[in-house]
Amino acid sequence: MRKRNLQRGLSAFWWLTLAFLYLPLVVVVVFSFNATNSAAHFTGVSLRWYRRLLGNEEILSAFANSMILAITSSVIALVIGCLIGYGMYRHRHRKLGWLIVLIYLPIVLPDIVFGISEMTFFVQIHRLTGLLQPGLETMIIAHVTFQIPFVALIVYSRFVGLDPSLFEAAKDLYASPWQRALHFMLPTIKPALISAFFLSFTLSIDDFVISFFTAGPESATLPIYIWGAIRKGVSPEINAIATLMIGAVAIAAVLSLLFSYRRPTRSTANHRRGTEESEP
Amino acid sequence: MAYSDVIPSLRSRALVSESRHLLFTVAPGAFWIFVFLVLPSAYLMGVAFMTTGPYGLPEMPLSVESFRRLAGFGFLGWSPGNLYTLLRSLWQTLVSTALVVVIAYPIAYYITTCREKWRPIMLLLVVVPSWTNQVIRTFGWMNLLAPGTPLANLAESVGLIDPNMGLYPSNFAVTLGLVYNFLPFMVLPLYAAFEKLDTAQVQAAQDLYASPVRAFWHAVFPQTLPGLLAGTVLVAIPAFGMYVIPELLGGGKGMMLGNLVANQFAGSANWPLGAAGAILMLIATFIGLFAMRRVGKRLGGGEEVVI
Amino acid sequence: MTPSTMAPDTGTRKPDTAHVRDIDKSSVREASSIELQGLHKRFGKTTIALDGVDLTIEAGEFFTLLGPSGCGKTTLLRILAGLEEPDAGRLKIGGRDITDTPPHKRSVNTVFQSYALFPHLSVRDNLAFGLRMRGMPLERRNAKVAEIAEFIQLGDLVERRVDQLSGGQRQRIALARALVCEPDVLLLDEPLSALDAGLRSQLQVELLRVQKRLGMTFIFVTHDQQEAMVMSDRIAVLDSGIIQQVGPPRDVYERPVNAFVARFMGHDNLYRITARGEGGRLSTELGELHCESPGAGELLLVRPETLDLLPGEQPGKNRLLATVGERLYRGSHAEYRLDIGGTSLQATVNNRGRHLPEVGERVTVAVAAEDLVTLGQ
Repeated sequence: MRKRNLQRGLSAFWWLTLAFLYLPLVVVVVFSFNATNSAAHFTGVSLRWYRRLLGNEEILSAFANSMILAITSSVIALVIGCLIGYGMYRHRHRKLGWLIVLIYLPIVLPDIVFGISEMTFFVQIHRLTGLLQPGLETMIIAHVTFQIPFVALIVYSRFVGLDPSLFEAAKDLYASPWQRALHFMLPTIKPALISAFFLSFTLSIDDFVISFFTAGPESATLPIYIWGAIRKGVSPEINAIATLMIGAVAIAAVLSLLFSYRRPTRSTANHRRGTEESEP
Repeated sequence: MAYSDVIPSLRSRALVSESRHLLFTVAPGAFWIFVFLVLPSAYLMGVAFMTTGPYGLPEMPLSVESFRRLAGFGFLGWSPGNLYTLLRSLWQTLVSTALVVVIAYPIAYYITTCREKWRPIMLLLVVVPSWTNQVIRTFGWMNLLAPGTPLANLAESVGLIDPNMGLYPSNFAVTLGLVYNFLPFMVLPLYAAFEKLDTAQVQAAQDLYASPVRAFWHAVFPQTLPGLLAGTVLVAIPAFGMYVIPELLGGGKGMMLGNLVANQFAGSANWPLGAAGAILMLIATFIGLFAMRRVGKRLGGGEEVVI
Repeated sequence: MTPSTMAPDTGTRKPDTAHVRDIDKSSVREASSIELQGLHKRFGKTTIALDGVDLTIEAGEFFTLLGPSGCGKTTLLRILAGLEEPDAGRLKIGGRDITDTPPHKRSVNTVFQSYALFPHLSVRDNLAFGLRMRGMPLERRNAKVAEIAEFIQLGDLVERRVDQLSGGQRQRIALARALVCEPDVLLLDEPLSALDAGLRSQLQVELLRVQKRLGMTFIFVTHDQQEAMVMSDRIAVLDSGIIQQVGPPRDVYERPVNAFVARFMGHDNLYRITARGEGGRLSTELGELHCESPGAGELLLVRPETLDLLPGEQPGKNRLLATVGERLYRGSHAEYRLDIGGTSLQATVNNRGRHLPEVGERVTVAVAAEDLVTLGQ
């Protein structure tokens, strides 16, 4: 009896918390369709703010910058991070403390310290050599820096989860070093590479602080544009861009759900089967 | 033939090729992080010990002037502004972390009591909002707390705020924003801890006549401590250095250390002062990490705590 | 149906290696004899895995490396596979020195203890992996895979995914994946250790049958002396990186060369020889015994199954008076612990329905002089 009450209370608390988590997003979406520019009253459905977006070249270029930044940095981070992840795995029996510290540094450093370190450094390098003018180039460098650890750790943990004799089996079955990389390692860690890419991409799109400090005048991304617009005053137009970005995340969420539901039927099925079968 | 008679000639060759392998795989990334993060951070630390030049840029000679300014000593004598900012950062971190724990603990527990096939979806529902850009999420709260919104009207009718004022900018709004922002970071590690929970211990406790409260305290809570610590690290450290939320929801009186630092590089330029603030933030970060590791090790659940 | 490439021809030549049982010489490939010379291997600064191993393994042999964990048997196997490099020594297969040949260029395949099936590939692609890496065209590859699948009787397993297989099935796939490459030598690293007892003995028989039909050299690593005796043409017993004894199972079991081998093969009845007399007369802790062909060793081995228990006291040559201390009745036989003047002796008596002495009973132990073996420390 008492247990049932507890469960009911928890259930109510769960729905309240979900409401808390989604309320701000729902408000943004709803008011993006508002006919007037009031932030407090919903007066009717209209698409005027979306229409206005399309005509705004600043927003279109911010969108393009965001995409270029996210894709380029994710690809570079994937290559570099994958190499480190493999190196960490292959040499895991050695003392690699310095490497672990180096890899955790971008993760633990507060965003703001990260951002201003890069900014002051880039500014000084630019002053001394003329290289690294603040812009997309410097933003890509900064983003790759915080993406590398995540890729490396994902790839590393995938390798650690493998039976070490698989590597030897590949050697034993006549695979040369290149064949091993191509026919064994890459296909085996493919799921890890895919999720590492998407995580890098999300991290890049999500980032505001580091982008903000490393950006140049021409390289504003969507979050930077939105930031600027908010500082000028709340406008329904921001709701419209924000809604589009929320929509993109929602699609990504659904995709990731489908992906994680399909995946157990492949390699992890054996691991999970035991627990699933015990469910009535 | 005894072993000492044999000269291990092949081994050294193998060792060289192994080292080269290590170099090829690890060097590009290590080099990248070193050049684009370690060197810049080192430079920033150097900046903190330089003098402020005419445009706020660092200049020689070395001095600790910026640390004095950070402590509040200016041209007009001591002012408490910076000290308040620092204390406010600590307070906000403390309060928001505590609130996050209070909300996340039952939520994480509740998810583990649900059917297995629902759990990934429930976790996803908790995490998805945090995939949206921080600026947008904070903007959502600005919409919700603005003057004239239902929440603001409610607060006004109860007499919490003056008429025609919104719920933001305020310290309350900053706390709210922090809790909202960091809730998923606490739910995930706590969920992992609850999922691994050894229910035999709970049954043993009940079997030994423990009341539900005591069974929880002795059998459940200690097992979730590693998750709790991991979550605290994930919440408290970034909360202390938060920039976006106090900037948008806090206004002048809700400023935190992050804003103080950032302002020295954006608006009123004073690089050495900002760098000194950054050092303070770094020290706090490392003290936090170190403390959690120590506590985590003593609890025996060290691995989870080391993120 | 036997695949043409793998089936032994029905030749008539007798094998010239006496200890290789019932093998058709014509199917034994000369390329598959193995020669190890002075192999040394050390891990770190202190751990010595191999301390000078010299060994010749003949083509077509089922050869077992037997020893406790850490004795160096797995290291030796890995050196053969090319997965470890020896610090010193040479390794020849079919007369060709392959010490410095990397594993992917050796005509040697391994069945791993964990089976090491590639999780990202289907069973069919797992079987074809080695052939594909060697650049065999698709059509021939498929034909070979079909052939091996029939030979090992995999049936429809080929169409499954690796994660749908049971332990025994994985084991057979791993075997088939190695065999399909037609290596000169097949290495098996405790391939049956993860299986339960019933399946294990079934697969032992199957493995043996496959080896005899193919005439391939098998090198088998195990720590189970029963398994080693069932399977092998010859056994090498290893301890602390040194080969203690090499020989056919009967030799190793019945005539161990030292206390380590004797104990590892399951013998406990070892007694110190205190004095020697004429005609093989030995004084031991048990009393006076005659040994037909005594060696120089200081220990005497009395195998429990060679002992006869006679009722009452019937003294004589090679007879000892004893009291029954314990009896373990096992149905087909009974195991006894006897007490001979304070020294304990174990005896095994087959249950032929006759009287089995009870605990406390006085009995006489009789042993034949040719069944006694002397051995070194």
